[in-house]
Amino acid sequence: MSAYFGVKVEDIFATMPERFRPEGAEGISASYGYNIHGEGKWKLTVKDGKMKIGKADDLSGCATVTTTDGETFVGINLGKVDAMKAFSSGKFKVEGDFGALAKTAKMFRKYIPPQKEMSTREYILDMFATLEKRFQPKKAEGLDVTVGYDIGGEDGGKWTAVIRKGECLLKEGILGTPTVTLKVQSAADWVALMLGKIDALSLLSAGKAAITGEAPLALKLGEIFAPYVPPGEKAKEPEQELIVLRKTISVNQRFATGPVMGKFLNGLKEKKILANQCPQCKRLQLPPREVCAVCRVEATQWVEVGPKGHLAVNEIVYYASPDPLTGETRETPYGSIHVLLDGCKGNETFTHLLRPDQIFKVKETWQEEKGSRLRPVWAERRTGSIHDIKFFELDE
Amino acid sequence: MAHRKKNRNVAIVGIGQTRYSSHREDVNQPEMIQEAVRLALKDAGISIADVDCVVHGNMELFEMIHQPDLWHMLGTGAYGKNAFRITTGGTTGTTIVAAGDNLVASGLYDVAMIIGFEKLQEGHTTGGITNMADPLWFRNLMTGALTGTTASATIKEFGEERAKRAAMMMRVIMDKHAGLNPNAHRSFGLDFGQIPDLMENSPKLVGELRLIHMCSQSDGACVLILADEEKAKKISRKPVWIRDHITVHREESFNVFGDEPVEMTHHFAARHLFERNRITKPLEYFDVFEMYDPSAWWGLDWLREFFLLEGDEHLKLVENKEIMIGGKIPLNPSGGVIASNPIGATALVRVAEAALQIRGDAGAHQIPKPVKHALASGFGGTIWTVLFILEKELTGWGERK
Amino acid sequence: MGKRVAICALAQIKNEPDIWYRRFQGMVFECVQAILKQTGVTFDLDKGIRNVVTCSDDVFDARTISDSALTDVVGAHYRGEEKVTQDGLNGLGYAMACILSGHDDLILLAGHCKESQSESRRMCTNLAFDPFYCRPLGLDFLNASALQARAYVTQSGLTEEHLARIVVRSRKNAVRNPYARENKVVTEKEVMNSPMLADPIRELHYYPVTDWAVAMLLCCEERAKEFTDKPVWITGFANCMDNYFLGDKDLTSNFALRKAAQKAFRMAGVKDPRKELGLVELNDAAAYQLPLWAEGIGLAEEGKGGRWIEAGGLEKYQVNLSGGMLNGNPMILGGLARAAEAILQLRGEAGERQVNGVRKALAHGTTGAAGQHHAVMILGK
Repeated sequence: MSAYFGVKVEDIFATMPERFRPEGAEGISASYGYNIHGEGKWKLTVKDGKMKIGKADDLSGCATVTTTDGETFVGINLGKVDAMKAFSSGKFKVEGDFGALAKTAKMFRKYIPPQKEMSTREYILDMFATLEKRFQPKKAEGLDVTVGYDIGGEDGGKWTAVIRKGECLLKEGILGTPTVTLKVQSAADWVALMLGKIDALSLLSAGKAAITGEAPLALKLGEIFAPYVPPGEKAKEPEQELIVLRKTISVNQRFATGPVMGKFLNGLKEKKILANQCPQCKRLQLPPREVCAVCRVEATQWVEVGPKGHLAVNEIVYYASPDPLTGETRETPYGSIHVLLDGCKGNETFTHLLRPDQIFKVKETWQEEKGSRLRPVWAERRTGSIHDIKFFELDE
Repeated sequence: MAHRKKNRNVAIVGIGQTRYSSHREDVNQPEMIQEAVRLALKDAGISIADVDCVVHGNMELFEMIHQPDLWHMLGTGAYGKNAFRITTGGTTGTTIVAAGDNLVASGLYDVAMIIGFEKLQEGHTTGGITNMADPLWFRNLMTGALTGTTASATIKEFGEERAKRAAMMMRVIMDKHAGLNPNAHRSFGLDFGQIPDLMENSPKLVGELRLIHMCSQSDGACVLILADEEKAKKISRKPVWIRDHITVHREESFNVFGDEPVEMTHHFAARHLFERNRITKPLEYFDVFEMYDPSAWWGLDWLREFFLLEGDEHLKLVENKEIMIGGKIPLNPSGGVIASNPIGATALVRVAEAALQIRGDAGAHQIPKPVKHALASGFGGTIWTVLFILEKELTGWGERK
Repeated sequence: MGKRVAICALAQIKNEPDIWYRRFQGMVFECVQAILKQTGVTFDLDKGIRNVVTCSDDVFDARTISDSALTDVVGAHYRGEEKVTQDGLNGLGYAMACILSGHDDLILLAGHCKESQSESRRMCTNLAFDPFYCRPLGLDFLNASALQARAYVTQSGLTEEHLARIVVRSRKNAVRNPYARENKVVTEKEVMNSPMLADPIRELHYYPVTDWAVAMLLCCEERAKEFTDKPVWITGFANCMDNYFLGDKDLTSNFALRKAAQKAFRMAGVKDPRKELGLVELNDAAAYQLPLWAEGIGLAEEGKGGRWIEAGGLEKYQVNLSGGMLNGNPMILGGLARAAEAILQLRGEAGERQVNGVRKALAHGTTGAAGQHHAVMILGK
C-alpha cells in the first residue's frame, strides 16, 4: 500500500463507517464500486440508512464504478487535487449513473488525516530549536543573563540560553554557572510543561523539578519567550464567520394549455399525434404552435401524423439535468430523440425519449438511409400529457 | 437590409471586470456588482455623478431575485438616475450593450453604464436553464443546455478522427488563452500533447460532447461605460467606437433536427451585418473575434458561420493554430466562455474584451498586432445571436486594402 | 432633438381576472395580429419590422426567459427581440430610443402578464426583496405599500372617505372602458367596510389580480403616415430609481417621481402641467397612491392630497378616466395600460370616456415596492 500526501487509500475506505452521515443516505439503496489502480477494488453498499464497505473482486451490479489511481483518489479526498480537472481530463472516470455518485458526497464527512503525535524526543528538539525564534527582545530590555536548562532522562539534554543586548543565543551544554538553572528530572515532564498540560508549581512541589540561581528570573521566562506552538497548529486568528442562507423557493403554478396545446394533449390521450399546419408554407409543427414562425400567420389546420416514424437524431445523454419542478434526475444514460413521424418531412421532427435498453441499438438517418423505424409505446393511463407516450421503441 | 444613419456615435469609455470564479461567498450580489462598477468608473476617470442612465441585465430565475435591479441599486449606483433592465437569456450581456448604444445614440442620454452580472452559485444553474423549456411538454424531456448534435454533424461531415481532434484543439487553445487572463475562472494548463488522451477519456455528457468541451458556471460582474461622441472624446483618450450591432432570434422549437439544411442565426446575423456595413471579407477585415462559445464543438462550428466560410476552412484555421493570439484571426484571447461564464455578464465580457484589445490594454493576453476592427458575439435563448462591430477610429470603416 | 417617434397602432385584449383558457402566447398573438391588420405593416427586412421589444416577467410566467416562447408569435423569427422587464412604460420609452438612435425605423412592442397563474401574487413580490433581511421579514409589495400609505395618510390628511371616493370613481369610470376588468360597481360604504388587507389598505383599496396583453407599433417620424393617419407622438420620457430599503427613503417625498416627471416635462416642453396636460393617467396600484402620485407630478400641492381630492382634483385634471390600475391591470403592464388610455384619447377613440380636444396627455408607470422606480411619458397629438 502506498501513501499519497501521507495518507493511504485504505485509510479513506477504512474510515468511511465513522464518517458516515445517515441523513445524507436517506431513501438511497445502491452500491458503488471503486477501482483504484494498483491498490484494489472496494464496494460501498448503502441501504436503509446504513452502509457497508469492503474489498470486492466483483463490482457488477454497482450503480457506478469509479476508476482512478491512488494519488488522484486520495488527493481529491484531501482537497489537494482539483476534482473537476481530474474528472474533465479523464483521470477520474465514472461509469454508470453519474447522478447517483454525486449523491455520495452528502453521505460522508470529509476525511481529515489524524494529527501525527510527536515523540517526547521530537518535542524536546523542536522546543529548543524554536527557542531563539520565540525570544521577545522587548521583554528582555537591559537583561544580561544566562539561563541553564538541565533536562533529564534519555530524551533530555542540556542547553544554555545567553541573553544579552536584546539578543538570545542558544548553546549546547551548561556554560559556566548560569544566572538561573532549570532542572527537570524527566523530559516528558518538560514537554508537558511547555504544552501547558501541567504547571511549574506542581512539578516543583513534587520534587520533579528544581530552580537554582536567581529564582525571580525564572518567573520572568514565561514573558521573555513566546509560548511554544507545536508544528502544524496555526495561531488561531478570529475569522469573520460568513453566513450563508439556504432556502428552497416554491410557488405553485397553474399553467394554461390554451386551445392549441390543449388539442394536442387531448389527442395524446386518444393515442393520436396531432400536428398543426401553416396554411401558407404547409409546414407541420410538432408540438403545434399558434403561429407559423416563418410566415407569421396563424396555423389553423390540423393533421394527424405517425404514430410510427424514422429516427432522425439520437442524443445519448450521460449527464442528466434535474427537473426544476421535482429536483429529480433521469437515470443515465438515456436517449433523447428526434423522430420524423410518418406524414412529416424535412425538419418536422418530434422530440421524445427512446426506450432505455435500445439506445445503443438504433441508427440515425445519416447512418442508415432512413433511420431506425420506431413506434410509440403508450402509457396505460393517459392524462393528456407528453408522458402519455412513455417512449419510442424499435418497430420490430 | 436597409439601414439608416446612426443619430450620433457612441463609444465605450470605461471597462470594469471582477475576477470570475466559482464562489464569491465573501460578497453579496450588490457588493459584487459594486466592485465592477468602481473599476469601470476608475477606468473611465469619471464619477457616478457623471452617469445619466444605468442599464442592468440579469434574469430572475437564476438567483431567484424578482426584479433584481431594485435591490441591486445598492451596488449599481442607480439612485436618482434613469434605469432600465433588459434581459434576453444568454445574449443579455450583448443586448444591454445594444440597448445602451440605442439609448445614447438616441440623444436621450449622454453617459450610460451597462451592468451585467451573475452569482450562479446562489441558485441552481441547470435547473434555471431547464426551466426555460415549455412547462407543458419540453421541460420533461429536456437536457438543459446540452446537446451533442453539432458534434455528430461535424463528425459526419469531416470524419470522426479529424473532427474530434479539431474540437479538442479548439479546447486546448481556449485554455491556453485563459491561462494568460488573470480574470478567467478556469484554466487547466492543458497541453496539445494531451489531446489524444482527452479525446478518449474526458467523460461524455451527451453524445460526443464531453465535459472538457463545456463552458463553466461562474460568478462575476462586468461593467461598461458608454458615452456619446462629444463626451467620449473628453473622457477617454482611447474611446472604442460601437459601429453597429444586430440581433437575430429564432423560434422556440428548434426545427433543425431533420434533413433540411437551415441557415443558423449566426450566419444570418453575420451576413446581414457585414452586408449593410459593406464588409465583404470578414476574415480579413477583423483583427480579433471574441465569440460566445458555450462549448468547443460550437466554437469550432460557428467559426464557419460567423466568418461565412465554406468547406473545411474553419477546421484549417484551428488546425493551423491561426486562432491563437499570435495567429491570423485570434479567437477569444480572453479564454472565452469555456473559461468563464457568469451568464448575465458573459456576453458583455465579449464586448469588453474586444474593446480592451482595441485599446491595447488586455495585458498578458493582448494580441501583438495593432487591433483596429473587432467582432464580438453573444449567444443564448433558443439559438439567438447578437453580433457587434467595434472600431478603433471613427473613420476608415470599410474594407482593408 | 427635432425628430419624433409616433405610436401608430394599439391593440389589446380585455383585462380579465383569470384567462385560464389561453396561454400567454395566444393572448399576445391576438394583439399582434390586430396590429398587422390595422396598419398593414410587415416583417420585411428592408421596409418592415426588424426588432421587437417585449415586456414580461419571468417570475409571473414561472419560466426562465419566457419571451422565448413568444418569438414566433411576435414575428421575431430571424429578427431581433429585446425584453424590458420593468413596468411596460419603460419598454415603450426604450422602443422610442431604438428608433431615435437610427437603428430601427419601426418597433413592435408586445407585453403580457398572467397574475392569475401563480398561487400567490404576494409570494412573487416577496421575491423582489433581498434574501437576508427584507424577504424573511415577509415584506411584499402590498405591505410595503401599506407602510407608505400609513405615512402618507397621516401627512396628507387623507381619510377613509377620500379613499372610498377614489375607489368608487375608479369602478364607475371602468364601466365605460370596454377593455377594463369587469368589477362590481361599489358604494363608498362598501369600500369603507371592506376587510383590511394591510392597514390602512383595505381589500377594495388594492388592485385585483388581473391578466392582460397589449401591443403597439412605433414608427419614426418620416414614415408614420405609411401606417396611420392618427399618429400619437411621444414628446417626453424619463424614469428614475429611488433607494431600495424602505427606511432609506422618505416614503412620501416622491423623490423618484419628481425627477422623472421634471425630466419628461422638460423634454416635452411642458412648463405648467396643471395648465397644459389635457389628460393624466397615474399608475395607482392602491387608492392612496392616486393623490400621492398627483403630488409627485405637480398636480396637487405637496402634502395636500386629501384636500385636492375633496376639491375635485381628479375630475378637474381628467385623471384616470380608464379606471386606472386600481380597477385592475397586471403589475408589470400598468404603465402600458396608462399609455393605452392616453393613446385612445388622443386619437379620439375613447368612446364614452372621450375628453374633447385633448392634445397632451401624461402616462405613468411604477416598478418595485412603494414606487421605487417611476416612469413618466408625455404623449401628444
